[in-house]
Amino acid sequence: MNARTGLLILGLALLLQACVGGAQKPPKELLALNDAQMKIRSFQTRAFDAKDQNKVLRGVVAALQDLGFIVERANGPMGLVTAGKFGPNGRGFVELTVTVRAKGEEQTEVRVNALFNTKPIEDPKIYQNFFTAVERSLFISRG
Amino acid sequence: MPKVETFFQLTPESAQHRALQTRMFDTSDEKELLSASAAVLQDLGFQIEESSTEMGMLRAAKERGAREYGQEIMQSLVFILGALGGKAVIMPVDVHQQISATLVTRRSETDASRYSVRILFHRSVWKGDGSTGDQHIPPGQQSLEMIHDAKIYQQFFAKLSKGVFLEAHKI
Repeated sequence: MNARTGLLILGLALLLQACVGGAQKPPKELLALNDAQMKIRSFQTRAFDAKDQNKVLRGVVAALQDLGFIVERANGPMGLVTAGKFGPNGRGFVELTVTVRAKGEEQTEVRVNALFNTKPIEDPKIYQNFFTAVERSLFISRG
Repeated sequence: MPKVETFFQLTPESAQHRALQTRMFDTSDEKELLSASAAVLQDLGFQIEESSTEMGMLRAAKERGAREYGQEIMQSLVFILGALGGKAVIMPVDVHQQISATLVTRRSETDASRYSVRILFHRSVWKGDGSTGDQHIPPGQQSLEMIHDAKIYQQFFAKLSKGVFLEAHKI
C-alpha cells in the first residue's frame, strides 16, 4: 500500500514536471509566419509612386504631425521613424514604427506597425486611415 | 475605452493646429534653419535630445516644477472637508512637468527656395503622492497634453525669425 502511494506520487510529480517543462519551452511556431500575420503585413504596407525615399519619409513625418503624433526618433539613412501619442483625455497610448524602403526602381514602400497600449493594432481600417493621411501629405502641395 | 479608429483620422482642428505650428521662411538653407532652431530652443532652456539633419528633425525637452496655487488650495479644501467628514484625504497634486518640443523642417512643395518649420509643444505632468484615510496613493501618475497656446508658438517663431534674419510667413 505504502509503496503504491509512493509510486503514484512519483508518477504525479513526473507528470507535473513534464507539464511545467513543456510550458517553459517556447512554442515552435514562435517565429513562423502564419496566415493572419501575412494578412496584417499586407495592410500595414503600401507602395507609393515616388523614387525619393527621404521625401516619402518626410511626408510620413508631416502626416504624423498633422495627426498630433510626437515624433520620437527619425533615422534618414535607415528610413525609420518612431512616434507616439496619448489618447483622448490622456487615456491609452498609441505608438508606431514606420519604415521606408525602395521597391524596384520607381516605387517606395512604406510599412507601419502600430500598437495600442503595447498590443498590436490589427484593424485594417486604422491602417487605411494612416495611409490616407500619408497620401495627402505627399501629394497635396502646400504653400 | 477611446475609439482607436480615430487615432489616424484628421480632426476639424488639424488644419488650425498646423497653421499655428508652422511658418515659412524664404531660404533654401535647411541646416541653417535647423541650427538656428536648436539655438532658440537652447535659449528657452531646452535640452536637445534627438537630432537628424537628413530628416530635418529636432526633439528637445526641459524639466520644470508644476506646482499651481489653485491645486494646492483645492488640496487644502478637500483635506478640511474630509477631516470634517472624519476621513483625512490628501489629494495628489501636480509636482513635476516635462515640456517637450518636436521640430521638423520641410521644403515647400511649390517653391524649392522656401522651407517650412513646424514645431509641436507638449507637456507631461507627474502627480505627487497623496492618501485617503489610511490608504496611500503612490506618486507618479502621469498625464500628457498637447500645448495649443498661440502665444507660445508666436514667441518661438519671433525668436527664430530674429535668429535667421528672415521673416516668418504664416501658411
